[in-house]
Amino acid sequence: MIATLIILGIVLVLILWAIGIYNRLINLRNQVKNAWSQIDVQLQRRYDLIPNLIETVKGYMSYERGTLEAVVNARSNAVAAREDLEKSGGPTGGSLKNLLGAEVALKGAVANLFALAENYPQLRASENMKTLQEELSSTENRIAFARQAYNDQVMSYNTSQQVFPATLVASAFGHHPVDFYEVADVEAKKAVKVSF
Amino acid sequence: MAMNFWEAQRRARSKTSIYVTIFVLLTLVVAVLAEVAMRIFAQDSYQPPIPIIGLAFLIITFGVAGYNYSMYQQYGGSYVAETVGARRIDPGTTNPKEKQLLNIVDEMALASSLPTPPVYIIPAKQINAFAAGLTPNNAIIAITEGSLNTLNRDEIQGVVAHEFGHIYNGDMKISLRLAAMVMGFFFVLYLGLRIIQFSSYRGRKENGNGKGGNPVAIAAIILLAAGALTWLFGSILKSCVSREREYLADACAVQFTRNPQGIANALRKIAKDAVSDMPQHGMAFSHLYLEDHSALSSLFATHPSLEKRIEAIEDRKYIPEEWTVDNAKR
Repeated sequence: MIATLIILGIVLVLILWAIGIYNRLINLRNQVKNAWSQIDVQLQRRYDLIPNLIETVKGYMSYERGTLEAVVNARSNAVAAREDLEKSGGPTGGSLKNLLGAEVALKGAVANLFALAENYPQLRASENMKTLQEELSSTENRIAFARQAYNDQVMSYNTSQQVFPATLVASAFGHHPVDFYEVADVEAKKAVKVSF
Repeated sequence: MAMNFWEAQRRARSKTSIYVTIFVLLTLVVAVLAEVAMRIFAQDSYQPPIPIIGLAFLIITFGVAGYNYSMYQQYGGSYVAETVGARRIDPGTTNPKEKQLLNIVDEMALASSLPTPPVYIIPAKQINAFAAGLTPNNAIIAITEGSLNTLNRDEIQGVVAHEFGHIYNGDMKISLRLAAMVMGFFFVLYLGLRIIQFSSYRGRKENGNGKGGNPVAIAAIILLAAGALTWLFGSILKSCVSREREYLADACAVQFTRNPQGIANALRKIAKDAVSDMPQHGMAFSHLYLEDHSALSSLFATHPSLEKRIEAIEDRKYIPEEWTVDNAKR
């Protein structure tokens, strides 16, 4: 009699523990997905801001057509790369690499534009320009923080799957370690060189 | 000893658990002691089948605590902000400094995976800030005008990240729960005192009922002692928890910004800050501040000293060498 009760008790505890782990893993996986879509939101924000930048700058820098066009083109490329990525169903190897490449090029083009703007004191002093500078700088920050938050969530999720005793049941429950958002391409990591 | 910010967070969290456990044990042990003392001193005039005094202590404490907690609970973070006299920043503001602050708050909301809270400005020249509200959904962040004028973008970001750390860890909730319990303890002390005053007015009763003397007076003295003991040690434990949560928030600030210098330099500027003009009616909330410039001795201080906090951030190397990359993280 006592033995059966004890065994039942142990079984109950095991079930509760397994439910606890299952729910925790689900929560963490959803947090990872949410963090990934945040990155996307911030990329979109940057694409949306750039036409404003071009408009503000055009009036003052009409001679710098080449630089302005470079920014417009880089933006179109980045938008296209991102749409490709969505069509291919998510961050796969090739499409992510393209997106990263296009992103780096866009950053470079915008940095060129700001560097050139230094030569136009009226433009530099304009309130619009200062606001835009802060907005674009904040956008870069947001993309970086969104990626950082994603990586933090991935770490949390991966760790929860790997610790004992969750590791015994994690893959049975359908969970696998997720990759970090890493810039694997050596070229992309190099500091963007500003050229006039 | 060097420890990265993840380890520092784990450490602060486990220390908090220890303090809270001691807090609970303290309450229970004092309840038991009160009952035992009552039985010893009142002897024949107190022999109920259930531990009335012990239970009374617990019921009064938790009752008063619960009442206080529910009173505060209905007020969101905005209540605290407005009590202190802060004004909310309009999300559509065109003021560049305010817009920059809103951007900084948005960035930290992303880094901490929390919703963006309303932002308030406190009309004071001191460098200070606080987070209020019991859940991430009714939380607010408030920062002084002085901070915006004195700190650079990285430093403001460090301060905002510290406040997000408080929201992320539910520090306001923990603080309020402990404060409510301490208020409960104080009420027991106060009750004991009042009963003694009341019984001495009525004069001494005949001690005709066996050994032990007037049980009411004895009960009152015991409650007074129990209240005093728990109030004293409860306050100390509450301050210990508060200090650990400050270290935790600093470690979270480093996690969210990945930039120890930002928050460290902000703390340095606070150390040099000669002004002290936070609104007086906000004093009740000073434990929520970034730094409360309090003269309290270190046992009761709600914040660790600025030196210790800066040392924790820098000397403990919250970001170890092997984690840095040659280029910017972007």
